[in-house]
Amino acid sequence: MKKENEIVESLKGFLKENLIKVTIQRERRIFAHIKSDALRDSISYLVRKLDVKHLSTITAIDLDGEIELIYHLTYKGSTTISIRITLSKKDLKASTITDLIPGAVLYEREVHDLFGIEFEGHPDLSRLMLPEEWPEDVYPMRKEYGIEQLREMVSKKQS
Amino acid sequence: MAYGSTIKIPFGPQHPALKEPTNFLFEVDGEVVVDVKPRLGYNHRGVEKAFEYRTYVQNIYLAERICGICSDAHTTNYTQAIEELLDLDVPMRAKYIRVIIAELERIHSHALWVGMAAHEIGFDTLFMYIWRDRETVLDLFEMISGNRIHYAMNTIGGVRRDISEVMVTEIMKGLDFLEKRLEYYTEVVKTDKTISRRTSYIGVLKPEDAVDLCAVGPTLRASGIANDVRMDDPYAVYDEIPFTIVTHESCDVLGRVIVRCEEMLESGKIIRYALKNMPEGEIRVKAPTAVPQGEVVSRVEAPRGELIHYVKSNGTGKPHRYKVRSPTLANIPALCKMLLGGYVADIPIVLAGIDPCFSCMDRMVFVDVRTNEKKIWTMQQLRGKEIRN
Repeated sequence: MKKENEIVESLKGFLKENLIKVTIQRERRIFAHIKSDALRDSISYLVRKLDVKHLSTITAIDLDGEIELIYHLTYKGSTTISIRITLSKKDLKASTITDLIPGAVLYEREVHDLFGIEFEGHPDLSRLMLPEEWPEDVYPMRKEYGIEQLREMVSKKQS
Repeated sequence: MAYGSTIKIPFGPQHPALKEPTNFLFEVDGEVVVDVKPRLGYNHRGVEKAFEYRTYVQNIYLAERICGICSDAHTTNYTQAIEELLDLDVPMRAKYIRVIIAELERIHSHALWVGMAAHEIGFDTLFMYIWRDRETVLDLFEMISGNRIHYAMNTIGGVRRDISEVMVTEIMKGLDFLEKRLEYYTEVVKTDKTISRRTSYIGVLKPEDAVDLCAVGPTLRASGIANDVRMDDPYAVYDEIPFTIVTHESCDVLGRVIVRCEEMLESGKIIRYALKNMPEGEIRVKAPTAVPQGEVVSRVEAPRGELIHYVKSNGTGKPHRYKVRSPTLANIPALCKMLLGGYVADIPIVLAGIDPCFSCMDRMVFVDVRTNEKKIWTMQQLRGKEIRN
């Protein structure tokens, strides 16, 4: 079992200038902010070299002009490594990691459905959570849509 | 239809395997399943969005209502995330009570599942008996919290109700009865020919696939992988309580039944230990209402597996983002893998095998058999067909 600081050191060594910030928040919790271009390389490094096989989920967060994606990976079921990338709302594209971690397939679809991120190379980005008649360009988990607005939209559709 | 060609069968949202709706589109070649496409979201209620509109105290009650079976797993995860943001020290007694409630919940959830699995394979006697015995746990919950399902025990800073001396005796009595019954059921599951023939080599999930597809909980452990959040990333007082992770090597539905049965017995031991070693003292500390800026990843081993919550606070009275990933979603890719190559007749028990927890119908799939085209009715079209009085 590698210690938290050993994982951080190997990440630093591999990512170099692609690593923006890394913190050990507490025992078994690591947060690493990386450049979005380095996502596939870092996940591949974690899977192949550090034996980090489990992806718990992908969290997307709306931060005004940008959307942040956090990949919550787990090392041997114990230490959670949260890899963070930020995407500008003008260009919401990220590369898929489904070929590196097949378990990511539904998490990417969920984020695509609710936040409108394109995962390039994903085998099937069809609707997963939202109904078929849901408008194409409305992403309900984004901050620009309030609960009341969404409720009105849905009730108008149904009447 | 020409020999060797495949047909598509929509399975659900209303179907024989589950009491809750979800939809799978199966492509079958004769009796063999060759492709599976899941379609979820039939009960997507927008809980994550709702979290952003409620205060941290209101959200305890919202978290409780994410699930009707493992309600305590969600509040434990929520409260420990907020406690970490607030840097609160939860009293030891409260942590012990959290463990007792969590393990009682695991017993009632697994017992419910074993009953359901027995029902799927036509063994209704086991279904009736184990559901009768499960009532013992629900009665204990009613005694402790006044409620059978939504116990509302957790709050930020500890728990809301204490477990008195009288209750300790009652829980011990309940366990005496339950453990005897559960040992018997475990024996039945391991030796009964009906169960063995209906579940052995069915819904096989190899260990390497389980890892690749990020399976969690009993589904993962029945493929021989000893991962359990309680052991690997301990919360509450699991680091002080001796217990073992139950695994099984058979990788099939039978393995999943055995793992859950043995986990119930293990939970019984954990509860006994916790009741004996629970220290005296406070059960909660006062929590400030203002939550500072920050982010926390919180994990819990729910009855169905790893449950992960993520919270980002922005210094106001409401969270900026709250993310929940329940174990059922994590097990769907693994479930699709198990179904591939299996028989149509085995679909119900394999589906039930991961102990899925979905929930409400909102649309349907129609397949035109002549053109093999599928279309889905929208809510509006469905409403058009309803009988108005």
